[in-house]
Amino acid sequence: MKTTWKDIVPVPTNQEFLDIVLSRTQRQLPTQIRAGFNISRIRGFYTRKVKYTQETFCEKFQAILDGFPRLQDIHPFHKDLMNTLYDADHFRIALGQISTAKHLIETVSRDYVRLIKYAQSLFQCKQLKRAALGRMATICRRLRDPLVYLEQVRQHLGRLPAIDPNTRTLLICGYPNVGKSSFLQNITRADVDVQPYAFTTKSLFVGHFDYKYLRFQAIDTPGILDHPLEEMNTIEMQSITAVAHLRSAILYFMDLSEQCGYSVADQIKLYHSIKPLFANKIVFIVINKVDVRRPEDLDAEEQEQLQNILKADDVELLQASCTTTEGVSAVKNAACDKLLAERVAQKLKTGSNSAAETPGGRLGDVLARIHVAKPMGGVTRETFIPEAVKNLKKYDKNDPNRRTLERDLEEEQGGAGVYSFDMQRDYTLANPEWNHDKIPEVWNGKNIYDFVDPDIETKLAALEEEEEKMQADGYYDSDESVEEAEDADNRMKANLIREKRVLMKNDAKMRKSLKNRALIPRSAKAKRLSQMERALDSAGYDVDAAGDRARSQSQSRGRTLTRGDDHDDDAMDIDDPHKAIARAKSRARSQPATDRRHDGVTSATNKEKAERMFKLGQKQMNRMARAGEADRHTTAALPKHLFAGKRGMGKTQRR
Amino acid sequence: MAVRAQFENSNEVGVFARLTNSYAIVAVGASENFYSVFESELQDVIPICHATIAGTRIVGRLTVGNKNGLLVPTTTTDQELQHLRNTLPDAVKIQRIEERLSALGNVICCNDHVAIVHPDLERETEEIIADVLGVEVFRQTVADNVLTGSYMALSNQGGIVHPKTSIRDQDELSSLLQVPLVAGSVNRGSPVVGAGMVVNDWLAITGLDTTATELSVIESVFRLGEMAPGGAGAAGPNKESIVESFY
Repeated sequence: MKTTWKDIVPVPTNQEFLDIVLSRTQRQLPTQIRAGFNISRIRGFYTRKVKYTQETFCEKFQAILDGFPRLQDIHPFHKDLMNTLYDADHFRIALGQISTAKHLIETVSRDYVRLIKYAQSLFQCKQLKRAALGRMATICRRLRDPLVYLEQVRQHLGRLPAIDPNTRTLLICGYPNVGKSSFLQNITRADVDVQPYAFTTKSLFVGHFDYKYLRFQAIDTPGILDHPLEEMNTIEMQSITAVAHLRSAILYFMDLSEQCGYSVADQIKLYHSIKPLFANKIVFIVINKVDVRRPEDLDAEEQEQLQNILKADDVELLQASCTTTEGVSAVKNAACDKLLAERVAQKLKTGSNSAAETPGGRLGDVLARIHVAKPMGGVTRETFIPEAVKNLKKYDKNDPNRRTLERDLEEEQGGAGVYSFDMQRDYTLANPEWNHDKIPEVWNGKNIYDFVDPDIETKLAALEEEEEKMQADGYYDSDESVEEAEDADNRMKANLIREKRVLMKNDAKMRKSLKNRALIPRSAKAKRLSQMERALDSAGYDVDAAGDRARSQSQSRGRTLTRGDDHDDDAMDIDDPHKAIARAKSRARSQPATDRRHDGVTSATNKEKAERMFKLGQKQMNRMARAGEADRHTTAALPKHLFAGKRGMGKTQRR
Repeated sequence: MAVRAQFENSNEVGVFARLTNSYAIVAVGASENFYSVFESELQDVIPICHATIAGTRIVGRLTVGNKNGLLVPTTTTDQELQHLRNTLPDAVKIQRIEERLSALGNVICCNDHVAIVHPDLERETEEIIADVLGVEVFRQTVADNVLTGSYMALSNQGGIVHPKTSIRDQDELSSLLQVPLVAGSVNRGSPVVGAGMVVNDWLAITGLDTTATELSVIESVFRLGEMAPGGAGAAGPNKESIVESFY
């Protein structure tokens, strides 16, 4: 919600207003019309002129109407404050007059535009325009008072302090001259006029201060005198407005020393008379000027009155002295604390719905974030902070004796990307010389880490001991040579068998792999004689007889040793027709197996009938120019060469 | 002491490092800057180990450990395991565990006394955690997230949980762990506090983006630096101010 109105544009006086509007009209629409022009053009020009003037007036009036706050739209505090300061009726009437003037000018413009339509000459048009502008000027001139008033309001409104009615507020009130302004001056940096006479402060003043990281506003009000509300003047009414409308902590200032010119009894009476305004607010009674007189010094009657207030209304008594600044911040802190607690409690109450115990939604989120979950049980978790941490000197980059870091080494040895750190430097092995020992990952095809045994040393020692003992006992001395010879023979044979098996297996494997060759059955494969001989030999058969027989049956390649009968291979092939004819004659005539034309036709009539049917069957095909019954050719409906491309002659339709 | 650092332009410090009270493991990076941040704070106090796990740099997410031991996932190679064994003190037990949820740093969150683990962790793993790390093991979630290690940063003095953790969950976790907890964030509002920072009993290292407010919350809840003795925790006296200004 808007709390300040510093940006209202200045309101000109009626004369200035007129000058502005008319000069703008003249500037924007200079007279460019001659007697000889078409009458509709002349009418159009003057219509435009009248309308433009009206628009300018309306725009300016609307700006004024929009710039000022509407009383029903602003916070009740500001509304009442404006009512007190500027008189709401007066304010409303002034704005109403402006609004009425706007409507009147619109009406005038409409009327005269209508009249100009019927004008017969340049002169008539011009006179009508003059009349229209004159009437508008008269309307504007009548606005002298409202415009002057609004300008004053604007200036005053711009200088009002920016009071936010909803924020955390301390409101300082009391009789005149009790030290309200000097308290404000003490707790904030507001530059308030402090003078030793009543009604130094004639309006509300605002100062700001921080407490617990929060911004508070403190409002200094003019002094209030104890008389009925109707008799209060504008200055006092501002205080009353502030007290009545602001959600704040109220500091009611009292001066027990009576230096202000009002007795203690009067001050207590004032408190009682404005008490109805304190409903639902936090109220403190601040005893000011305690350096002069403290509440303990009061006489019995006054003391009792004071105590009555404190008891009856749950009001806290605070003491301060603005001259010695004794207790000033205590007053401020007490007030702020209570106000803050009040506001937070209010927020928690509205934020949490009645059903759930813990608030959800946005408030729940905020609370969850600031909640410190403390363990319930009394166990304290032991911490393990090495002693070295306490003695560790804080690392300082600019210290010449600083610790050497890996980064320093890196810088020295070529920087990032070049430097390669020593991973094994910090190993904690039994012997530091072992740090850089090379250990293979894999040894004889075995991952050595699979064989790492932490007890290897002890196990080895135990084995060695056992071995020694066995040697000592003569375990290895016994003789087993006889058995060994037989064994060796068997072993040799077994090895031979195994070897042979492996070879056969490999052979078979080799044979099996086709490598893109044709699959030839074994029986069809050519075999060399030597192969057969070797196979028979290795199987333990006699080779010679089989070899001889095979050799005797073999066919030699190359030229036969005998001469052919009458065949001369070297002679040229010649076709001999006599030979062919003779051959054909000697041959029996070949007969077709069946005659399909006559098969199945029993008589001449039937044959005729069949031929007729055959012709009938052909008819359709012939008509369609088909090659046969399988011909389903479809010619192009739109032959491309007839329908596309440039036309050499003629047109698309006709060539 | 809380320090801000970055690993190769990444703020997720907890991904690339694992910090405990008796050792630190740091990923092997292109330069030594990140390692040297640890070195400047921890040199000659505890061993800092350059390491990879299963050839990756996300050592903080794959391993979990405390003062007593270190658990590495099954993907860790023999050489890496040997390197860790050679570098870390003998008092620290190292164990490789067969676990389907192999990012142990994401599913286990522990200090030297208690571990909060993913509810689906295998029974054997739970026993190994209890034996090797010497802790009580609780299956729990943090703000309805099963990845306890990602959404919680824990030391023996305090802990930070996911910023959306409800007050009830915080209290429950706190009574399990017996340390104070707050809901907080790191790295300018990141909810993955476990992955965004590393912490032990005297040092926290967070991402470079961490705001001053986040850092002060971290320092106070973990009782680091000036907050060390009897710190009141985050926002104790200013609770009213915060409610007033944020709601």
